[in-house]
Amino acid sequence: MTPGSRGGTVTARAPRAGERRRGWVHVLPLVVFLAALFLVPLAGLLRLSFSPVGAFNAALPGWTLAQYGRVLTEPYFYGSLLQTAATALLVAVLCVLLAYPAAYALARQRPGTLRTLLFVIVISPLLTSVVVRTYGWVVLLSGNGIVNKALVATGLRDQPAQLLTSYPAVVVAVTHVLLPFAIIPLTTALGGMDRNLHRASQTLGAGPVRTFLRVTVPLSLPGVVTGALIVFALAMGIYITPLLVGGVTQPLTGIRVYEQVSTVFDYPVAAALSFALLALTVVSTTLMAGAFRIWERRLHG
Amino acid sequence: MGERGYDRSVRLAGGVLAAIVFLFLIAPLVVLVVSSFNPSGSMAFPPSGVSVRWYAEVLGSPDWQVSFRLSGLLVVLVVPTTVVIGTLAAYGLTQGSFPGRRLLTGLALSPLMVPEIIIALGLLYYFHGVGLINSLPGLWLAHSLVALPFVVRAVMVSAAQLDPVLERAATSLGAGRVRVFFTVTLPLLRPGILAGAILAGVTSLGEVAVTALVAGANTTTVPLRIFSAVQYQLDPSMAAVSTLLMAASVVVMVVADRFARISEAL
Repeated sequence: MTPGSRGGTVTARAPRAGERRRGWVHVLPLVVFLAALFLVPLAGLLRLSFSPVGAFNAALPGWTLAQYGRVLTEPYFYGSLLQTAATALLVAVLCVLLAYPAAYALARQRPGTLRTLLFVIVISPLLTSVVVRTYGWVVLLSGNGIVNKALVATGLRDQPAQLLTSYPAVVVAVTHVLLPFAIIPLTTALGGMDRNLHRASQTLGAGPVRTFLRVTVPLSLPGVVTGALIVFALAMGIYITPLLVGGVTQPLTGIRVYEQVSTVFDYPVAAALSFALLALTVVSTTLMAGAFRIWERRLHG
Repeated sequence: MGERGYDRSVRLAGGVLAAIVFLFLIAPLVVLVVSSFNPSGSMAFPPSGVSVRWYAEVLGSPDWQVSFRLSGLLVVLVVPTTVVIGTLAAYGLTQGSFPGRRLLTGLALSPLMVPEIIIALGLLYYFHGVGLINSLPGLWLAHSLVALPFVVRAVMVSAAQLDPVLERAATSLGAGRVRVFFTVTLPLLRPGILAGAILAGVTSLGEVAVTALVAGANTTTVPLRIFSAVQYQLDPSMAAVSTLLMAASVVVMVVADRFARISEAL
């Protein structure tokens, strides 16, 4: 994102004879750490999702598909999966739309105090706790919060609306939390663009709007795709933000998993539900990435 | 109103849109800071005056003090752990030449893309089995897992620009492998390591998604205490804690941005 800040040294990385395993020792601690704390827990969770449950929802030995059966047949579970996918899609679209003007302004800003300030604003949500950001929305949207005051003052509502614990509030707060993940790749894509292309387009008689739509937007598509996919994947699994803003009744999978674990204590069904969520996330991001690739190829001939 | 006027109005419209988005990003944080100085106990906005009574209340409360100490301790444990593991791995993954490097790079970054609820549930179930629930080592390991991909990615940016000729020069001048790594390689990776350390620190400081499931009554971190309090009550003391937490992150970041370009690592 800071072009020209480093020399363009081309590293020669041809493996020399006898050094085929160079670097392996360095990676070993990471492999051990991730195996012990990421792969083994995930494998344990996968095994748990095939366990039958006994009295008081205790997991029993043995194998069954009953938990996945429940997830796929009970509307409480599969409805939440559909709702989560729809929400994640909506959030991804909103993030891309909102990220565009911000990334455009950021990419065109010359290095200086204003750029640093704008940059701090963009990544400030990333560097503050998710509870802090979400709590800001709780304050904004509460009964006597600033949004309700504005609604009443402008005569749009006679009395304060119940904004907290509503679905639109969840969408707004999740969009806010994930927006930086869309702005950053888009700024990189827009910043790396050759300004001569704009000049060429304008010299040939295209106005700024046409240049933007026919030159800038197509060239920034890789950044758009990266941002949209990251936001979508993160929105699928987010649960703290919707829980705080929307409450436990929101029909989202993350919240339903949390409910099963924290109040129902049914771990096997929670495990099955979260693996269904993971599968849905992987399948839909792969499909979307593929669709974007085909579309892009057609666009560039 | 010629072509130039049209150009200017288009640009102005773009600027206004961008300003609205920046306002949207910053609004909840600003509101939080402002309400933390509210003299009354309500969350009404704008507040009726200025007071620091909620800061005094929070800083004087033994419960919050315990949480502040725990969160600070976790940052002190998590940053070195992730920096050592992450730096070594990033160096090996970018400069090494062993089979399966791409696969391992994917594995190293994958905790970022797996839904947070799955990591949380996986660790909860696993920690139950090994007795790490509601313990400091449990939180240390959990936070390190969440923060590690950020460090790997940040250091990989620096490691990719490393010129191996410099290391070879040091070796040919007689320096041993270990000495080359500490006196040549590490200083060259410094910007990435610093950015990674900051990201690891703020990640640990703000982590809730996994903490909420693996922590317990004796291990309530600052953001977790905010999380459980916000679900039941709304009062400005929570805004005061949030402001303190936010101030810590922003100060560290602004200072560090002078030394390292965090922007490149994200």
